[in-house]
Amino acid sequence: MKAFTAKLVDLTQNNAETIARQWAKDVKTNEKTYTYHEETEAKILLQAKYFYNNFQLMFFNESPYEQAKEIFDKYAEERYKEGIPLHEALYALILMRRHMWLYAEFQSLFNIEIDHRQAVESLSRTILMFDYIMYVVARKFWKLMKLEWQAKENTE
Amino acid sequence: MQAYAAKLIDLIELKAENIAKQWADDVMKHNRTPSYHSLPKDMVIAQGINFYRLFRRMSLAENPYEEAKTFSWIYAENLYRKKIPLQEAIYALMLMRRNLWLYAEFQGTFVTALEKQQAVESLNRTILMFDYVSYQVTEKYQELTSGEVEKILHAVKTLMVKGCVGGEKSIYKLGLVTIFLIAAVILTYYYQSVLGTEVVFTHLFYLPIVWASVCCGRKGIYVAIFLAVLILTSHAIFLKGIPFSEDIIRALMFVVVGGVIGWLMEDIRKLKELFR
Repeated sequence: MKAFTAKLVDLTQNNAETIARQWAKDVKTNEKTYTYHEETEAKILLQAKYFYNNFQLMFFNESPYEQAKEIFDKYAEERYKEGIPLHEALYALILMRRHMWLYAEFQSLFNIEIDHRQAVESLSRTILMFDYIMYVVARKFWKLMKLEWQAKENTE
Repeated sequence: MQAYAAKLIDLIELKAENIAKQWADDVMKHNRTPSYHSLPKDMVIAQGINFYRLFRRMSLAENPYEEAKTFSWIYAENLYRKKIPLQEAIYALMLMRRNLWLYAEFQGTFVTALEKQQAVESLNRTILMFDYVSYQVTEKYQELTSGEVEKILHAVKTLMVKGCVGGEKSIYKLGLVTIFLIAAVILTYYYQSVLGTEVVFTHLFYLPIVWASVCCGRKGIYVAIFLAVLILTSHAIFLKGIPFSEDIIRALMFVVVGGVIGWLMEDIRKLKELFR
């Protein structure tokens, strides 16, 4: 698996800054992520860089779910504190994945026959990682909402 | 895109029930979807079939995003009513997509070089559909959560002036409380000093007490305490010789009523903040 997917991950890692900028432009204008429209680009970029830089760690980890929890619990907590609604936080992640893939396509990363096989493998692996990430983020948001409510109750 | 993905779409259309059954087996024992374990299997399978049939509808629709709503909103609403946590509802969708793909792989749908290319396109299409559905389901869940809170709060909100607790127009609220208090002082003086009676005019005091607690939350209790002290002091000065017992009970009731309403209003305010 590693051999097939290394290409996509390497490309993402080496071009994290460029992909992050493309993503930031998108998320600042996309109608499904309107809370991001008012944020500064510099602040948004940090999110994407955090994501793309940590993605590799998760991609090649033997237990990607555990790694996802470690990395994206923090990501979810930060978005929650910033007041980003969950559906927008999730859609921003979806756009991150899309931009990763768009960049790979744009660079003609997977052109020849053997590359298509690699593309399928890479896509499958990427989606699996995203499944874990989305689950972890949704769970963390839900937990934080409950905790906040309990904390408020306890202060009375 | 549509032509490339046609093979997968045909497969899903034909085998929707089989894939849905595999998905149901998976989701009903998966450790990340525990709330599904006790759901009726027929209902779970029907959900799966609806999802898989959506695939063709979306591929034919002019606006696939809008088409996705025909499934997502019903899916979200059903699961929300069954108290399935959002992360499990999302994970169940992921398993739907995974099972779809597993089935296609198991059937050897994409073997040759051309088919591999089709596989990439089909995967992209599947992911796009999933992206739409997961976004809509999350959005719907949040909408339903807020709606439920609004519904719970509705009865109390009718009692409240818009934005009363923690609202911006606090000067008007304070002004009204002050007017109520001045009226209370005048009434107390008139009844106890001029008329020298203990007639039950103090029922009117509940107006400022309730108003202050609704507007100021727990701080509203100060108005209740003020009025309690007022009737007791006034009694001591003007109604010498008449037993204190009834006014003591009244004073206690002011504080209790003010305190309880203020405490409830604080809870409501926190709830509103949480689901804003």
